[in-house]
Amino acid sequence: MFEKNLLNLLWILPFLTVLFSIPIKENSPNLKRFHLASAGVVLLSSIYLLIQVFQNTITNPSSQIQLLYETKLNWLNAISAKYFIGIDALSSMMLVLAAIIIFTGILATWRLEKGQKVFLGFFQILAASVYGVFISFDLVLFFVFYEMEALCMYLLIAGYGSGNKDYGAKKLTLTLAIGSSMILAVFLGIYAETGTWNLIELSKIALPESFQYYAFPILFLGFAVSSSLFPFHFWSPAGHSAAPTAVSMFAAGVMMKMGAYGCLRIAIYLMPEGAKIWLPYLLIFIAFNVIIGPFIAMRHKDLKFITAYSSISHLGLIFLGLAAMTPLAFRGAALQMISHGFLTGLFFATIGMIYSRTHTRDITQMGGLMKAIPFIGVGFVIAGFAGLGLPGLSGFVAEATIFIGSFENPSPLCRVITILAILSITATAIYILRCANKMLHGPLVISKELLPKTLPEEKFIIVSYVICLIILGIFPMPFAKLLDSSIYPIYMNLIR
Amino acid sequence: MITIFPDILILLFPFVMLSLKLFLKVSLKTQENFAVGYFLVVFVTLNFILLGQNHFYLSNWKIDSFGIFMREIFVLSSLLAISLSHNYFNSSVSLKPKLLNFSEFSASVGFAAFGGIVVVSANDLLTLFIGLELATIPMYALVAWNKRDSEGTEAAIKFILTGSVATAFELFGFSYLYGFSGFITFPEITNAVATAQVSPLLWISLLFIISGIGFKMTLFPFHLWAPDIYEGAPTPVTAILSVTSKAVAITFLTVLVLGPLHSVQKEISPFLALLAGATLFVGNLGALSQSKLRRFMAFSSISQAGYILIALLGNTPNAKYSIVYYLFLYTFSNYLAFFIFSVVGKNQAETFSALRGLSEKNKFLAISLLIALMSLAGIPPLAGFFGKLQIFTTAAENGHFFLILFAVLNNVLALYYYIQVLKSAWIDKPEKEIALSIPTKQKIIILILTLSVLLLGFLPFLSNNLSIAFL
Repeated sequence: MFEKNLLNLLWILPFLTVLFSIPIKENSPNLKRFHLASAGVVLLSSIYLLIQVFQNTITNPSSQIQLLYETKLNWLNAISAKYFIGIDALSSMMLVLAAIIIFTGILATWRLEKGQKVFLGFFQILAASVYGVFISFDLVLFFVFYEMEALCMYLLIAGYGSGNKDYGAKKLTLTLAIGSSMILAVFLGIYAETGTWNLIELSKIALPESFQYYAFPILFLGFAVSSSLFPFHFWSPAGHSAAPTAVSMFAAGVMMKMGAYGCLRIAIYLMPEGAKIWLPYLLIFIAFNVIIGPFIAMRHKDLKFITAYSSISHLGLIFLGLAAMTPLAFRGAALQMISHGFLTGLFFATIGMIYSRTHTRDITQMGGLMKAIPFIGVGFVIAGFAGLGLPGLSGFVAEATIFIGSFENPSPLCRVITILAILSITATAIYILRCANKMLHGPLVISKELLPKTLPEEKFIIVSYVICLIILGIFPMPFAKLLDSSIYPIYMNLIR
Repeated sequence: MITIFPDILILLFPFVMLSLKLFLKVSLKTQENFAVGYFLVVFVTLNFILLGQNHFYLSNWKIDSFGIFMREIFVLSSLLAISLSHNYFNSSVSLKPKLLNFSEFSASVGFAAFGGIVVVSANDLLTLFIGLELATIPMYALVAWNKRDSEGTEAAIKFILTGSVATAFELFGFSYLYGFSGFITFPEITNAVATAQVSPLLWISLLFIISGIGFKMTLFPFHLWAPDIYEGAPTPVTAILSVTSKAVAITFLTVLVLGPLHSVQKEISPFLALLAGATLFVGNLGALSQSKLRRFMAFSSISQAGYILIALLGNTPNAKYSIVYYLFLYTFSNYLAFFIFSVVGKNQAETFSALRGLSEKNKFLAISLLIALMSLAGIPPLAGFFGKLQIFTTAAENGHFFLILFAVLNNVLALYYYIQVLKSAWIDKPEKEIALSIPTKQKIIILILTLSVLLLGFLPFLSNNLSIAFL
């Protein structure tokens, strides 16, 4: 009962925080403390829930999602939508990822001088929306949470960003809106076919094959928009480069995972026949992400553009795992979602810290930063190493699992793309090492006095991400086993 | 008797208002309070009517649950319009002279509301037509209420000319429908339509009826009058036009399409789908490049009309329920936007640049604006999204999958231009400092509307209570 209430609290608490922060004075330090405390409560409860899920999930693969702590209430009776939330292995891990990124995101805006109240308020609504996405198992409720971010994303980026912020913000918001419109249309189609929005019930009903054939690509690409799959990747560099640090961390760390999560949880789970027909063709798009992404990143000089293209290539790996359709590849994709969330969070956090000191993100105008701010430099390098798959960090585990899993798929196209993807890791290594070299080593361009020392909250952010990356890199097995309990039902649906 | 009591109250309202001024000579303030109180009483009375059986009075005055909820919408809209007009009668607003003759103004609003009630209660063609005219003619006068304002007069003339042509179209269509069936009462027409083969006579009549009502509902090829008239009319009148007028028109179509023409609904639904798709697309395109707020709202409400029309593709109880539900939420969101525009435009023209720097001047207004516009754009968890979701589900049950895909993709266009407005309010810096003061009364109304838009969709209270009555 306690866990059940805790689960409901996850998305209600951010809203309550916004409500109670209205009377607090704009510049009072209590404002950010209050928001941080609330995010801390959510973080602790999500970790507690993860531990509970660890203890209560049977790790033997079964064909049913093991949903814990369900709450099921009547909601909109006219369209028989229910308020139906619960938690299983995959969603509990995504929740912890989201909670860590939200918590550190609030820390990253600790020194924001103007408009803190509005920023933190909208940021909490973003938080509520992602927590809601990961726990809702009713399609209407899922969509409500999924689309809620459009409300805040534009104002956060255009109001607090840097560079070409209005353009970037509009591009991001509208492209994501195209994706969610496609999702909504297919959800309505599913409802018209079956008369229910309940994900668990729907997984037991086989949707008509003719419907799956034309609905699957719309749904899959709709989700893929927010994960920046090839023809829809263009929002990501523009949006990330304009966004403030916390929003970049959030967008790359959690929001882009929502799309991949939806592809796995809803598109492939509900429409296995459509997936079998279409995913081999979608491999072409995925190949662009995985192979061309790193090469574009190599040519860029702006740190945020480099990281955005690196995210595009890493998300391509998630899609490679999904498209390979073997249990091992699915597991790798799920691990990559979490691992990439941490590493990209660390990337954008350190970039934000560097930018706040150098006031430029152009790597050719930096140098020798390791002498002035070694702590942040090391954090950046660790994120880079995790990104290029250094063993011992989480990136290696996830990427290796994906590659082995996708090589298990006997189709020649899939194998060729896997091989190319493995080779493209070299390109990743090139741009990350080149970037680290230019930025951190060599003579100091900006004098040391102008570069303030690393602040305590910045140290905390870096350390917490590094710990997560190492835990997932050294002890991946328990997490992988746990994830299997969510992934196996999806695979069983595919081979049904 | 209780069922017809609110109708009598609304019919009496204009006469009471006029006599208050003529015989009792009460002050403007008392008149305003009285009008608002009167509509509040009617609204509350309407909530006490027991739903269930259809009631008939004099054989052609029908009261059913759809009718009662539409009455609530008409009354709500009039109530909000009268409270919105408060500023305009007490001082000059938006650089225009202040309005005069409140009692006649509110009497016209009352007549328009009664017209809507006649339309929804009609059980024959003649009553239906009288209702539509009763709802339209006061609008002509209301648009030109500011008689010293040349823009308003121009708008009214345009409105009368196009409106009368539309009326002629409708009457012509009705005459063919009468010629086809031999009756003007709905039960007989229903029988005639159901038994006869689909004949060219019926098609011609439908073509003219839909064209005629298309004018009033601002459907695609007949929408061109709307922007000029919305811009020329005083803001409270624009608000009534965009809510009451549109609600009357959709009620008219609902009464016909889901009533006597029900057996040909399948045949005309491709036509309706085309109209709906074109309307919302054209409305959205038009709104993209506007810089004046009321003109912008005209295009926005054209596209909303397209969305409402989608509901008519559904089956009977669901379609009526979706229309009522959508209109409720639309009324709240639209009036909220107009209330904010009227506050912002108090000392300057109502343009996008008037909104600049609103978030710095007044956070409360800026957040209300965000909520109103995002609700109109259909972003969850705000009310507008749930209205649209309901309409799409209704249409999806009859398999209009690609129309829905088109409509939801259009939402992206809509989101773009609503974001343009939000950009002025939240991102742009103010050109010159103009102090903003909100009267307490307005502040309370804006707060109530904001909370309604925020909560009425997500909390299932409204939706479930309505659905009990319909389904």
